[in-house]
Amino acid sequence: MDIETVKERAGPREFGPGDEMPEEYRKAATRMIQFHANSEIMGALIERPFIRQAPSLERKLAVSAQVQDEIGHGQLLYRAAEQLGVKTREEMLDELADGRGKFLNCFHYPLDHWYELPMIMFFVDGAAMRRQASLKRTSWEPYAHAIDKICFEEGFHIKHGEDILREIATGSKRDRELLQEAFEKWWPRILQFFGPTDDASTHGGFAQEVGLKTMSNDDLRNAFLNAYLPKAEKYGLEIPEYPRIEYDESRDHYEIENDDLDWDEFGTVARNEFPTGREQIDSRGRRQEAVEWVREAILDDTAVAGTTGAAAD
Amino acid sequence: MRFEVFRQEKRKDYHQHVGDVHAPNMELAKQYAQVMHARRKPANSLWVVPKDDIGTVDADEMGVEMGGTTQKEYRWATNYSTGQMAEEIEDSQREQEDAERELKASKGEGGD
Repeated sequence: MDIETVKERAGPREFGPGDEMPEEYRKAATRMIQFHANSEIMGALIERPFIRQAPSLERKLAVSAQVQDEIGHGQLLYRAAEQLGVKTREEMLDELADGRGKFLNCFHYPLDHWYELPMIMFFVDGAAMRRQASLKRTSWEPYAHAIDKICFEEGFHIKHGEDILREIATGSKRDRELLQEAFEKWWPRILQFFGPTDDASTHGGFAQEVGLKTMSNDDLRNAFLNAYLPKAEKYGLEIPEYPRIEYDESRDHYEIENDDLDWDEFGTVARNEFPTGREQIDSRGRRQEAVEWVREAILDDTAVAGTTGAAAD
Repeated sequence: MRFEVFRQEKRKDYHQHVGDVHAPNMELAKQYAQVMHARRKPANSLWVVPKDDIGTVDADEMGVEMGGTTQKEYRWATNYSTGQMAEEIEDSQREQEDAERELKASKGEGGD
């Protein structure tokens, strides 16, 4: 299939492993799905310490379940990417460990306190869910299938995140102050979640033409803000004055002020050069090395391999 | 030899198990599958798989737990009451509600 045919036929779940896709498509799809898979894994890594720090048993169980889900999503997505025939799952995991694999900007920053957790578990996951819902209609069928399962599970993550947000927001005055502080710290990063505005985006055009992406960065950010700003207000969070966002009533649209956001830092983050991101990558790299013996034991068919269904549940 | 048959109704649908055929080899199995499972009902594609090549895990096997066997309410979106949600979260919750209902139905809720 040549790229022109791909663009003509592009539609929801249109292409699969049975189709001979041009290299340009396979590379673009691999980049996108690998990025998504890496983000799931790095997100889990950030959330994991809060299994221990959770203030109640219920929360511990729920955070732990969420972390398990994210790792599962990562694995599903690596499989969907692998079927494009560009890279193997092992290659992608190695790239993530050695700092070549790219992932979401928000997971390059440390999460220092429980008050910050809803910023990830509600706002960032909510933004991710908005994006993922639009990908149920992606043109690479194995990706869409993975998304079906991811969206099924993600609803719980965001509702649990909102439940934590509500709990803190209805706590003491000090709780509310710390929550507002966390919100102000994370707000610019959340706005940057969807990447640069459309006029500055480099990969978006092609990905949309071949049906991999179904919505542009701006449209996604707008849909997210429409749904989540009322939520922030509901919990008494004040939207910071900067970076500026302006609501255009006639178009029901939010404009963000690109100049107010630190795109240099975003670039450093995106290149995996931001110090805290570096630490996260290295930390995961060390973990991958530390459990190398488990992979070897599983591959060695003389050993008793596997896990129980209960462990995966 | 027994072959299991999975039918995909329309392009882009999932293949769903529809039954089996007996045949001496794959060639004939594919033909029988077409006759038995795709002649009347609409079908876009069939998967025909030798029964022996299918690995199975059953819920009542020793050491198998496939969800819903232990108390895991914290794991469902339906357990958190947060008011109106974004559209895509509502969709996800509806799917979970359906799954919960099926799970309960399959266990004959109320019976024990």
